[in-house]
Parts: sequence; structure tokens; C-alpha cells
Amino acid sequence: MTPRVAIVGSGLGGFVAYTTLRHGGLAPGEIAVLGNDPDPAGAWRPRAAAIRQRLMRSESDGHCWPTSFPGLAAREAARRRDLWPLVLSVCDRYRPTVELFLAHVDELRSSSHWDESFRQARVHHVRAVHGGFELDGHGVFRHVLLAPGHPGLARPPEFEGDPRAVHAYEPHAYASRVAIVGAGMAAATEWVNALAAGAEVTSIRRREPARRPLNVARPLFSKRGLSGFRAAPRARRAELLRGFGEPSYPPGRSWDAPLEQATREGRFHVAHELDGVDQVICATGFRRGFEHDPLLAALVSEHGLEAESRWIVLADDSTVPALTDATRTLSLAGVPAQWAFPAADTLVGMKFAARGFRARVERCRTR
Amino acid sequence: MSYTLRGRIETRLTAAVLPFLFAAVASPVLHKWWPLELAGLMIGIGLTLDAALYHPLLPYQPGWVALPLGLFELGATMGAARLLEIHAPLYPALGFFAGAWLVLQVLAHAALPLLRLTWPEDGGELGRGGIALAAAAPVAIVVVVGIAWAVEPPTVRLAAGVHPGPLVLDHAQTITGEPGAVVRGGIVITADDVTVKNVTVRGGEYGIEVDGAESVELDHVVVEGAALDGVNVRRSQVEIRNCTIRSLPAAFTQGIDISFGNDLHPSLVEGCTVTGGQEGIVTHFAMVMVRDNHISGTELRAITMTEMSMGLIEDNEIDGALGVGIFCGDYSECEIEDNAVSDVEPDLDSGDLTRLGVAIQAHRGAQAQLRDNVVRTSPGGVAAFVDATIREKR
Repeated sequence: MTPRVAIVGSGLGGFVAYTTLRHGGLAPGEIAVLGNDPDPAGAWRPRAAAIRQRLMRSESDGHCWPTSFPGLAAREAARRRDLWPLVLSVCDRYRPTVELFLAHVDELRSSSHWDESFRQARVHHVRAVHGGFELDGHGVFRHVLLAPGHPGLARPPEFEGDPRAVHAYEPHAYASRVAIVGAGMAAATEWVNALAAGAEVTSIRRREPARRPLNVARPLFSKRGLSGFRAAPRARRAELLRGFGEPSYPPGRSWDAPLEQATREGRFHVAHELDGVDQVICATGFRRGFEHDPLLAALVSEHGLEAESRWIVLADDSTVPALTDATRTLSLAGVPAQWAFPAADTLVGMKFAARGFRARVERCRTR
Repeated sequence: MSYTLRGRIETRLTAAVLPFLFAAVASPVLHKWWPLELAGLMIGIGLTLDAALYHPLLPYQPGWVALPLGLFELGATMGAARLLEIHAPLYPALGFFAGAWLVLQVLAHAALPLLRLTWPEDGGELGRGGIALAAAAPVAIVVVVGIAWAVEPPTVRLAAGVHPGPLVLDHAQTITGEPGAVVRGGIVITADDVTVKNVTVRGGEYGIEVDGAESVELDHVVVEGAALDGVNVRRSQVEIRNCTIRSLPAAFTQGIDISFGNDLHPSLVEGCTVTGGQEGIVTHFAMVMVRDNHISGTELRAITMTEMSMGLIEDNEIDGALGVGIFCGDYSECEIEDNAVSDVEPDLDSGDLTRLGVAIQAHRGAQAQLRDNVVRTSPGGVAAFVDATIREKR
């Protein structure tokens, strides 16, 4: 069977799209997954390990199964014969361990026959052709979902070449005096980890982080909040997206208590500039904007796609309007899909894009 | 979950389908309106709260909020049922509500996200299916209510004034008296599904006689001056609520006598005031719940449950009885709880040692279980005679 459907990117975004298509009845032979690493968590795993992340930030829907239910909470409750995960889940307090999440990815990878669809390939160009898209010599596909992931780590230019500097998402140990640049979730995790390792920590930040459970307000995960967001003029929409990207980490004593204690002991302080530290950890996240991704930048320039600020303008179902019609589909998933769904870089957001893509594929009779 | 208004309504209607169908089946089977009425009330209150309260106040609704909202809706539904005089028995009504709530939770947390992948991100909306459901819901309600209306027993309004009796009710119907409606000479009920409301009955051998009938309701009836029983029930199942019985001080008068229906569904006597007569409320070989009644001035016993009867006697107030207050006799099994019995006087003239002002008595092989009764100024206290047993219930 010649695949008519391609997923470009073999990370979690591509994996969620794959399981969603499989749930819709597509056989492994009908889908081609083009990517670097056959492990869907291959990019995510070392980053989580680097910041010593133990718990997922996302809640009950933070998994890769195509349906929201049963999620990790329900399955853990069934396995342990314990209702507590469900209780935590209905209180929005269920946070599965990274270990559990990764085991789930491994299990689903096997049961969904992901490896049968995977092709080791790096795609640099997507070119719209009659009846589909040509992917860098890998063939023409009628329906393509691009899930390229984050376009690299963001490093403040002043630390380029500084031997003391390391990015939070790269493997590292802690020196005795550490400066941590940034104020988001990764930075907060690094503060706590470095303090626990006995380091003296200086938090370098340009602004105070917001305290919220998720980056994006919960109503924006459904039509209720999305309708207002989508009705906004383009410039306002871009402004809102910038706001969602402001640094934040969840409220709670598990964050506050170690920081308060370290502040009392004189081991944690906030500063605007570096001052005599042994190590600089850049918890500054990822580069932002499609122009940092060569594949997307080329796609926009070669096809004259609409963009607003650093986002590609997408239809509400996460498809590229100029290149999608009744016979072919080009969708974006993951962080480049924020124009359609502000929380596109979460697992829920990846499902949103995947479901929109699947609906297009199912509607197309010649798939 | 962040519901849209449409999503809330469609989810609510989807969850209401099963309870509504259940009620539509239960009502004709039980010959009772309350399941349908309660279902309608529940859906109506739920939809009103969705639109007026929940949607504006809850842009995001965590799962746990379903519990306090459910309790709030339960309170509103039961309050409205009371206000609209829907006589739903408490425990079945609570069970029905709890079942419907559970269906909603299972649907919202498991079934709908499974059946419709985009349900969470669509804010609970069900697409074309939801529109069809929203359109079908009023049609279904109209059809079911229409059928129910068509098969409902006729209602007869009894005008104010005195109507000569005996009034014989031999087919299903509802008699509703206007203020001042009086039947002189008694009412005889021989058919199932008869309801008598707001009627005063004067005279007659029996004030109201129910014979071989089921699902009979007597609501707010007043019986005065009957020669024998205020209400006489034989081989029947009745629910008597909020009645007033004033018995004559004659040798054989009884307020309410329910007998020989042990093989039928339990009867109920609730919220009645019974004054005078030999016995206040008496059951022979029947299953009866006697609760929240006030009985006073009886000359033999205030409440009698005897001849292998079974039942619950709870929350009654008894005062000024002669001889015995509550009597559980002749191999009956009685649960006697939360009653207040006071001023039971010894019947010295009878020469009967079992009638010396006994507030609660078990007699001849009967088994009485007691809990939280209050006994005042009754010299005989609580006593068992002739192989009867009294146990305190924990």
C-alpha cells in the first residue's frame, strides 16, 4: 500500500498525530513518518533528564492516546486498584511521573506499530505540487502534517562562547555558585534542583514570573476561550500569543518552601546581572518563531504564505489555508501551530492539531 | 473542562436521555407520576442553572465541582418538588437523582470523550448530533407528557358545599375538593389509582373505605364523626398524607385501620392528626410506615401494629392516650424510632396489668426494635409481655 499520508517529524507531536490517525482506521502502511529518531520521546527525554524533571506539568490529558479518556490517571487507578489518582485528576492535581509517561510512550509506540511507518529521513523542503506535497525526494503525499518541534535552544547572545554557560536542557551538574538565567518552568525547576544540590543560586531575570498552573488559561483549551482568541484582529492575536509565552511556573508550596528557606539562609537571591559565579545555566527555553526553523521558513517564503509576527497564519483546524483544499491537506502541529491553538506545544494541543488533520484526511475520498 | 453554553446544554440533554426514559417506563409501571415529574423538574432546573448561573460563573469547571453543584441541584430539585407538591417518596427520589447524576458524570468524564474525540476541545458540543438532540428533546418531552396526559385518570372538582354520600369511586380518578367541599355519609373506593384531595367527610359508618384497591392516595382529607373508622383500608395499598381524623368517643371507633394487605406494597400514613376514638392508627397483617403523625386522646391505644404486621413507626407525637401509647403485638415486627410519647395514663378500670400507662409495648411474640424515642410522664414506661422482645437498635 502506498502511503498518501505523511507526518514530518518523529517527536511527540508526530507521534500523537500518528496514534490519532491509527485510531481513525488508517493502517501503518497508509502512513509515512519521516524523522530523525524512531523514539518519539527521543528529543524530549534528554531535556527532561537535564532539568531533572520528575513530574509532568500537564494534567490528566497529558498523554499520547488519541482519546482523552482513559488517561494516565484512570489507568494508574485501575492498575493500582486505588482511586487516589482519579481524585487527584478531578481536582486538577494529577501529575504523572516522567517515568510513567515515558513508559506509556514506549508501550504505545509498540502497540501502534509506529516503527512500521517510521522512515529515517530529514525533510528540508515541502513543495506543493498537483494533488499533494513533494517531500524532498521522499515522494508525493496528499496529506502532510508538519510537526518539526522547537527550532533549537535559545541562548542569550552574551553567553555565547562563555565556558561557564550551559543550557538547562543540556546535561549538566551544579557548581557551588550558580546563576540561572530565566524565570519560567525550567528556571524554577533549576532553582530548586541546584539548591537541593547544595549550590548558592542567583536568579537572573528581566521580569518577575507569573504563577499559574499552565502557560495558557484553561478556557483557551476549548472552544469557549478559543472563540474570543480567534475573533481577535491579527495584531491583537499575536500580542496575546506573546503574553502566553511570558515566563511562568505553577503556584504551590513545593516551589515556594525551598526558595523561602534558601533565601533565609542567604543561598538564593534575585539579580539583574551576573556577579562572580562559577556556572551560568540558561533556562531560557527555545528559539521562537517559524523563521528559526529552516523547513518552515522555506515553506513560507517559497509559497508566499501569510504570517503575523513570528507565527504562520493558520486556519482554525491548524491547516495552512493557502495549501489546503478538498484534495490535499497541509497541517502544522506542535509549537508552530500556536496561531490556531495557543497551547499547541502541549500534548493536548498536539491532539487538537492531530484531530483536525484526521478530520481532513477522513473527508478526502481519495486519501 | 471549559463548556460553551451550547456544550453545557447538549451534554445535559444527552445525560438526561437515560433517566427520562427510565422515568417514562417507571411511571406507568408504578402507576405514579412522580418519576416523570421529577425527571422533568431535574432537567428543567439543570438547564436553567446551566444558562443562568454556571455558564457565566464558571468559565472553567474542574471535575470536583460536579459534586457541590450536584448537591445544590439536588436541594433545588427537592425544594421545587415540595413546592409543586410532587409526592415523590424521599429515598427513591434521592436514588433517582443520584443515578441521573452518576450518568452525567460517566458521560462527561468517560463516555463522551471516548465517543467523540473533539468533545473536550469543542466545549462539550456534540456537533450535528447535539443539534438533533436539542431539537428532539422538546419533541420527546411533548410526546411523553402528551401520552401521560392522555392516559391520566380524569380529575373531578368537587365544588364547595355539602354533597350527599356515599360517594362510590369505582374507576381511576382524582377528586379534588374546592375549599368547603364536604361529603356527608362517606366515600367508598374500590378502584386502583384513585386520589382524593382536600375533601372533608362527615358521618358514615366508615368515613373513607378503601377495599381491594392499590395506588390510592388520600391527601389533606378531613374525616369527622364516622360511626366506626375514620379511614378503613382492606386488602389495599394506600398513601395517606396530611389528614385530620376526629373520631367519636364510641366503643369501636378507630382513626385509621389498614388491614390484610401484607402481600401488597407498603402503605403509608404521614403527617396526619388523629384525635379521640378507641385506637388512633391500627394495622392488622399489613406492611405500613406510620410517620410524622400526631395522635391524642385515644382510649385503647394510640398506634397499634398487630397480627403479624411489619412496619416503621417513626417521628410520631403521642399524648394523652389511655392505657398504651404504641403497641406492637401478635408476632408483628416493628421498628419504633424517634417518637415522642407523653402523658399515657394508666387504665385502672380495665384491671389489665398491661395497660398501666405503657408508652411503648411489645406483646405476644412481637419483636420491637427501638431507637431514640422520648417517653415522658407515662408510668408504665417501655415494656414487653407474653414472649415479646424489645431491643434497642444501635
